[in-house]
Amino acid sequence: MDSSAFARGFRLSTELIGGVIVGGGLGWLADSWLGTKPWAFIVLLMLGFVGGVLNVMRSAGLAPPAGQAGQEQQEKTDRD
Amino acid sequence: MEDPIHQFQIENLFTIGHIGPYEIAFTNSAAFMLATVLVICALLLLFTRKDGLVPGRMQSLAELSYEFMAKTVRDSAGTEGMKFFPFIFSLFMFILVSNLLGSVPYGFTISSHIIITVAMALFVFLTVIFYGFYKNGPRFLKLFVPSGIPIYILPLVSAIEVLSFFSRPVSHSVRLFANMLAGHITMKVFASFITMLGAIGLVGWFGAVLPFGLIVALTGLEILVAVLQAYVFAILTCIYLNDALHPGH
Repeated sequence: MDSSAFARGFRLSTELIGGVIVGGGLGWLADSWLGTKPWAFIVLLMLGFVGGVLNVMRSAGLAPPAGQAGQEQQEKTDRD
Repeated sequence: MEDPIHQFQIENLFTIGHIGPYEIAFTNSAAFMLATVLVICALLLLFTRKDGLVPGRMQSLAELSYEFMAKTVRDSAGTEGMKFFPFIFSLFMFILVSNLLGSVPYGFTISSHIIITVAMALFVFLTVIFYGFYKNGPRFLKLFVPSGIPIYILPLVSAIEVLSFFSRPVSHSVRLFANMLAGHITMKVFASFITMLGAIGLVGWFGAVLPFGLIVALTGLEILVAVLQAYVFAILTCIYLNDALHPGH
């Protein structure tokens, strides 16, 4: 959907950065509310990183959209 | 060297009033927002007034933009997505026209300020959440529970899905903001090379031809980026609204 390679690369990198920022930010907030420094930050930062990678794969068309079954599952339900 | 950031300076044109200790001012940003809305109204209302069966140049521009967005919404959010068409079309036209007005010399680019793009992205994000729960009730949460996942890793997968969902407004807003900011700074930096080279004399004048040629090319690229980013913002809005309309299919 993006015509230029630059726009495509930019789109993918913001997806990853968004995931990391949101994960880290939520973790930092949770820490300062619950007083569990630094555990929520560490856990949520890593989960946010994974979420960012998932977003990158989704926008590159390598993973199915949210709420949909994976490929093998999809084929199985198609056969049934 | 000319300050390349100066073009993004917010200036108060006049003060409207005060709320508590805060001054509510009419800024250059607000002036360009008003200009954007006026241009859109002129395009969509004035030029379609004649309502010719064979459209004139401006009328066909208005009709083309309508049909283009309507097709985009139908393709990516389905026919039910058309109830959000006024919303998506407004966003698209606002970003498109404000980006193009920002490309005019001495213009101010509204979307080069992250507060504007964040406000728009959060509005889309909250619309998705509220409409998703309104239409689907708790079934909306199926978005975070992919089917066919073993129960023992489901909490982890759901946590990742939730974080991926919450990171959407970030990438949605940063993309538009960073594209406009980076493009306009690049243009200003290359433009200041021309004046710097021109100041050192005859050799500099010949040297200044290079950045001048680049500026011409960059201006073309900036117009492309302005249109493309408006389209990308709109199509992502459609994709996100699609989740609210049909979660988990």
